[in-house]
Amino acid sequence: MAGDAIVAEDLTYRYDELVAVDHISFKVAEGEILGFLGPNGAGKSTTVKVLTGQLQPREGQAIVLGIDIARDPEKVQAQIGVCFEITNLYEKMSAEENLKLFARLFGVPRFDAGALLARVGLAGRERDRVEEYSKGMKQRLMVARALVNRPRILFLDEPTDGLDPASAENIRKVILEERQRGATVFLTTHDMMEADKLSDRVGFINQGKIVALDTPHNLKQQYGKRALRAQVTSPDGGLESREITMDKPETAGAVQELFGREKVVTIHSEEASLEDIFINITGRGLTE
Amino acid sequence: MSWPIIRALVTKDLTLFFRNRFFAFISVLGIVAYVVVYFLMPASVDEELDIGLYAPVLPPIFEQLQGDGLSIETVDSVDTLKDGVTEGRFLSGVVLPEDIMEKLAAGDKVTVDVYFASDTPEELKDAVTNLIQELAYIQSGQILAVDISEEIIGPDMLGMQIPPRDRMIPFFAIFLILTETLGLSSLISEEIEGRTAQALLITPMTVNGLFLAKGITGVTLAFGQALLFIAITGGLNQQPLIILLTLLLGAILVTGIGFLLASAGKDLMSVMAWGLPAIIILAVPAFGVMFPGTVSDWVKVIPSYYLVDTVHLSANFGFSWGDIWQNLLILLGFDIAFVLLGIIVLRRKLT
Ligand SMILES: Nc1ncnc2c1ncn2[C@@H]1O[C@H](COP(=O)(O)OP(=O)(O)OP(=O)(O)O)[C@@H](O)[C@H]1O
Ligand SMILES: [Mg+2]
Repeated sequence: MAGDAIVAEDLTYRYDELVAVDHISFKVAEGEILGFLGPNGAGKSTTVKVLTGQLQPREGQAIVLGIDIARDPEKVQAQIGVCFEITNLYEKMSAEENLKLFARLFGVPRFDAGALLARVGLAGRERDRVEEYSKGMKQRLMVARALVNRPRILFLDEPTDGLDPASAENIRKVILEERQRGATVFLTTHDMMEADKLSDRVGFINQGKIVALDTPHNLKQQYGKRALRAQVTSPDGGLESREITMDKPETAGAVQELFGREKVVTIHSEEASLEDIFINITGRGLTE
Repeated sequence: MSWPIIRALVTKDLTLFFRNRFFAFISVLGIVAYVVVYFLMPASVDEELDIGLYAPVLPPIFEQLQGDGLSIETVDSVDTLKDGVTEGRFLSGVVLPEDIMEKLAAGDKVTVDVYFASDTPEELKDAVTNLIQELAYIQSGQILAVDISEEIIGPDMLGMQIPPRDRMIPFFAIFLILTETLGLSSLISEEIEGRTAQALLITPMTVNGLFLAKGITGVTLAFGQALLFIAITGGLNQQPLIILLTLLLGAILVTGIGFLLASAGKDLMSVMAWGLPAIIILAVPAFGVMFPGTVSDWVKVIPSYYLVDTVHLSANFGFSWGDIWQNLLILLGFDIAFVLLGIIVLRRKLT
């Protein structure tokens, strides 16, 4: 049954007075990758914590894999993998020991730590203590640990944070492999390109509220603006730039006018990006 | 809660404990130090005779009496004298009657009351009795009918004296147990500080399972070391079952206190800062028994008193279940109280 892996209804979490997650409702289909975007402090990590049973919802509910997470967290937790925002590994143990411990806690039979470590690019360093790892290596081990129990849902809170481009790309490959295997992925990231490339749908959260949730394509259609940028020679011989918004009724006329009346030096089209959309939706950038 | 999960976590904690150089070091050092001290201590009984004397009228001969291996201290009431004997400051307390001089002069029979602690050895009693006879003889110049009325005060301790080093075995075992308060609380606070507890809790492991695993780790460490020490020094000659049970209850007590400490401190350093004074306080009753008379009754509010007292009475004087069941019950009560309190406070920190 290709149902919903996650159903959040009116989900709310407050830290004392502060409403971190404010009555949000959404669904994530099985096998889907949902990108979860928003500025710092928007409530992304808090949402992950509520969905994974680390925090109890104050209002509303979350049904994860058909189970109310507040009612039976262990049953859900046995089937999910969580990559935490902040590294929390046993520093005095090796990577291999870390993974083997969690394999035992999850009751995974015949667990192959070496193969999993190789997948995240840590082959050859299995026996080193985590305290001797670099930040990026620890981050990759965090991702590996989330995969130990072959989870049905992967919650990844900024999994590529602090990774070099090649390592980040490798982790993205792993995420896609997991989806291929049938896993659902709930992915939090500040990397707009990553969200765009990986996500089937993207949700924007701002001040605890989901402000948009759709496929990247639809969001761009709805909120983004594609544009043509041209450099033209000005009467005094210098360069000036012109911008024409695309996909509008007046676009064609504007383009004709540009070529008819100005000396165009260069021209290129600019695609709408998720970042533009976010600024558009929330009136602020992703980085404060 | 499934056992493989608990076992996995306990194994991990014990591995980490022994991997922590500091704790591995103080644990090994602790055992080694105690074993060394044990074998360095005299195997024989202290020969010095401390005698308390209450005499409203002091015969001159008694005044001159201070000397080799004998020290006489006069006190101002019978009660002080009895307390001194009970607390072990005096091996024996002697009360001379008010009319001693008249009676000696008249050649009448004199009754001298002598108090002994229940653990005073027989030969010592004889020595004191002889001494009084002797003094009376010197004073009056004739062999007198001195009627010595012996009274054993304090708990009945079968009247046997144990060499100091053997007397120490249970206390060393208790110190080893107390040290584990730090070991356990640091293991837990590292888990909180490093946020690994959160990682554990999104597995099928529950908060209760986590407590159970930590509890087993704490008891294993504390009880295990005490047991090892006792095994090396052969301290289970008397009432082994009572001693083992008491040490086990003690291990549970320090586990509860370890939970409390782990939640008191923000990090490892503050756990240490809370832990050392806690250990010192818990050790006070042990000093009270090792050095009688140094601490008073208020030590009974310190939970470890019941641990120390029980082990002392059964290891050194062979007290049996009938004599110490109340102690064990109180200790069990403290165990339950501290473990519950520790769980309640620590749970708030974990969730
Ligand atoms: N433990 C906490 N106690 C109190 N307030 C908290 C706590 N954790 C988060 N908050 C608050 O809740 C709000 C949402 O935080 P959250 O960590 O969910 O944001 P986020 O979207 O993950 O941000 P970031 O992009 O920086 O990771 C913020 O205002 C934050 O200050
Ligand atoms: Mg976050």
